[in-house]
Amino acid sequence: MGNFVSAGKEFGSMNRHTLEENIFKGLMIFSMMIVLGSLSLILLTIFMKGLPAISLKMLLQTPQGGYYIGKEGGILNAIVGSLVLAGAATLLAFVISLPIALYLNLYLKKNSKFAYSIRFLFDVLYGIPAIVYGAFGFSVMVFFHLRASLLAGILTIALLIIPIMARSMDEVLKMIPFELKEASVAIGATRWETATKVILKQALPGITTAILIAFGRGIGDAAAVLFTTGFTDSLPTSLFQPVATLPLAIFFQLATPFPDVQARGYASAFVLTVLILFISLISRILSSRFTRNIVK
Amino acid sequence: MDIKTHISVKDLNVWYGEQKVLNHIDIDIPDKKITAILGPSGCGKTTLLKCLNRLIELQDGIKVSGQVLVDGENILDPNVEVTHLRKKLGLLLQRPQVLPMSIYDNVAYGPRIHGIKNKKALDEIVEKYLKQANLWTEVKGRLNSSASRLSIGQQQRLCLARTLAIEPEVILGDETTSALDPVSAQQIEQRFLELKNQYTIVLVTHNLRQAKRLADYVVFLYLGDLIEHGPATEFFKNPKYFKTQAYIEGRFIEDFKVDQELILNDTKNPDESFLKVKSVLKNFQVNQILRLVVSDEKVLQRISQGVETQGGSVLEVKRFGPSEWELFVQKQNVSYAI
Amino acid sequence: MFKNQRHFKDLLARQGMLFLCLIFLSLTLVIIIGLYKRSEPVLAISSLKDLLFSSAWKPTQEKFGLAGFLTGTLWVTSIAMLIAVPLSILTAIYLSEYAPRCLRDWVKPLIDLLAGISPVIYGVWGTIAVVPLVRDYVMPFMSERFPFFPFASDNYTGYSALTAGIVLAVMTFPIIISIVEEVLRTVSFELRESSLALGATKWQTIKKVVLKKARPGVIAAVILGLSRAFGETIAVLMVAGCSLGVSLKSIFDPAYPLPALIANTYGEMMSIPLYDSAILLAAFVLLMVTVFFNIVGWGILFRLERNLVQ
Repeated sequence: MGNFVSAGKEFGSMNRHTLEENIFKGLMIFSMMIVLGSLSLILLTIFMKGLPAISLKMLLQTPQGGYYIGKEGGILNAIVGSLVLAGAATLLAFVISLPIALYLNLYLKKNSKFAYSIRFLFDVLYGIPAIVYGAFGFSVMVFFHLRASLLAGILTIALLIIPIMARSMDEVLKMIPFELKEASVAIGATRWETATKVILKQALPGITTAILIAFGRGIGDAAAVLFTTGFTDSLPTSLFQPVATLPLAIFFQLATPFPDVQARGYASAFVLTVLILFISLISRILSSRFTRNIVK
Repeated sequence: MDIKTHISVKDLNVWYGEQKVLNHIDIDIPDKKITAILGPSGCGKTTLLKCLNRLIELQDGIKVSGQVLVDGENILDPNVEVTHLRKKLGLLLQRPQVLPMSIYDNVAYGPRIHGIKNKKALDEIVEKYLKQANLWTEVKGRLNSSASRLSIGQQQRLCLARTLAIEPEVILGDETTSALDPVSAQQIEQRFLELKNQYTIVLVTHNLRQAKRLADYVVFLYLGDLIEHGPATEFFKNPKYFKTQAYIEGRFIEDFKVDQELILNDTKNPDESFLKVKSVLKNFQVNQILRLVVSDEKVLQRISQGVETQGGSVLEVKRFGPSEWELFVQKQNVSYAI
Repeated sequence: MFKNQRHFKDLLARQGMLFLCLIFLSLTLVIIIGLYKRSEPVLAISSLKDLLFSSAWKPTQEKFGLAGFLTGTLWVTSIAMLIAVPLSILTAIYLSEYAPRCLRDWVKPLIDLLAGISPVIYGVWGTIAVVPLVRDYVMPFMSERFPFFPFASDNYTGYSALTAGIVLAVMTFPIIISIVEEVLRTVSFELRESSLALGATKWQTIKKVVLKKARPGVIAAVILGLSRAFGETIAVLMVAGCSLGVSLKSIFDPAYPLPALIANTYGEMMSIPLYDSAILLAAFVLLMVTVFFNIVGWGILFRLERNLVQ
């Protein structure tokens, strides 16, 4: 009989559809190649330009006089400055974001209007450009007659990354099955106890990732620190002094007309990229490590 | 009674990764009747149903062997145009899945896909099948409104209309009333009873009572095995096998505790095999269970018929190879003479 | 007593968290009001209309027309979206519907990586790779073959709106791809099954059912990508050209987007009267625009999520 077999061959429209599908499939793969290609291109250019210019001296020294016009020194000030700034800001953000995320998921009803508004608010805050945070931070500083400082930078960056962290943590906590929370409360634990003893263990991989992502964002941002931290050639010594950051160091080095200073800029870019790649890698490893122990 | 077969399943096996979910299924589904596939959850009913319209291959890791003949043609053949097959067999799922479009477009979706573009023709189709699904009067004034606004019972009827609109020959249903309230469920069941004169209907259900109400023919699956199948009246009144009885009566179904095994793979001689079985049964005590493996259909028949006379009863017959059967025989009474 | 202690902790935690939430709510308002207040001085001397629509930017003469910068932003953002939207959506569809599991498992983390790269790095890459590309290949080619709007230009430096648009597009890829992919994933398997069961092909199902169901989410993804492109500062600053007083008539002309203006004038802000107020007004405008986009975008996604729950 062959009803079904022959039917396929006679239908012209079927062939038109397959052609359309194949065209689109081709376009899709092409698009993906471009996206992945851009990523590889970025990493490739940074590595190719930055690796040759880098030296151990550069990593371990602070700029001596005239560094930006070609003299001796290194970017240690920027490396340490960035790590301290981002680290402190992440810590501050963590202390604020985690309670908020816990509150949203444990104490409020899932569909309560308040939870809805808070989540919405954080998403909107997430979309505010870094430069606006910087400008705002700057206004506050001017208002209080404060100068550019590490502390101002920490506060501004913390402000910038709190929406990111809170949102990621919220997503993670949201995914925890309600039954787990139920089971804990059912045996008489208070919600706070449920939070710390049960939920957090389960959410550990996701929370770690959230922290690391926020840290990566905080360390890489230039627009928010531009106004608030200033720049300096020395290592961070006090909260109330300006501090150097890698993104700004890169920016300033590249802005000079001297090719060897620019080369150092590329090297600094290389350092920052490696740092961020390292953080991504760690967060993936930790995340899969922790995932082994959780309830599925 | 002349029962014409519409769909014939031959030695169907399905694996989901490493796990085998259907074992050597052989059924003939009668034409223009309602066939119910019964069994507890997770026993392969939906898998079997979805093999019929090859929807099963959407899932990763599925391997299928055997044949499914629709009007004599094996649809598991890779050369078969699957979209054409699915036009012939319509499927209704458990949760009503309304497409993200208007009521009109939902019903017209199938016909449009299969080439009907004429607006007038589509209008007629939409009206005709909405009427057949008994939804027309409720929605005729708002055909262009979104289908998601309908109640769940109405949505399921819309899905039925949508399925009917592609003018299939077979309607497959997977627990189509499980998600509905009793009133809507009853409406859907009514439709099936009315439609069976025009369509062959195969319904998967775990609801015994529903099967009793609707089915003309019943297929009972348990853990991927075909335990029993037959006309509904016989199935429910005189079930042949042990597990079927247990299921119908609502008892727990347990595995058999086998007291002795007899592998008769190599003999093709029915009488010789039967003699061997007879001698074992003679020495059995009441309620002891014998497991037999045979590889010839005639041997199988001879033994099945013969043990009744020896005071034994066949608990189960299972096919577990292309030509291998497994029999469980239990001694019920003291045997009669030779 | 034991019971009271545990409950006390619980209560304390709960009130503490609520307090934090409320602080954040008020903080948003503080940011908005703060920036507005600081813009008031310049609003006192020129009307909002003048400020937004005049392109006369002469701070020493107290002329603060932002139109030029808004145009710059518009050009750069449009170019970025024209590139990013089709490529991102197509990639997301492929990843979600067609790509084999192992491919998806590799590609998704890589795209997340793109999202994590610092904007400065994008700027560096733009300077090293994209500027020469535009300067040496794209611009000469296009200017010769198509010597009319929007291609004809006399800017041969390679620092142009197109360059910034390209860099921005790559920065926007991850956002749109991840949201679209997630939205496509939420379209239920049973819905696809129903379409296929009626005899549709996979592509027909994607085109007519899946994409339709996901449409609001795709729009939201584009809006959020747009918002990101709008506010990006440092990468754009490094490659867009940022020349004052040049009118934008071509994608190869240098552009001076609003965020770049804010960043560039940091040093001089306090030296000229009302300069800082004008810059903060620019920041305020940027804030309002991005907040608007975000409200719309997230609003759509939230409504979608709610419908799913029902």
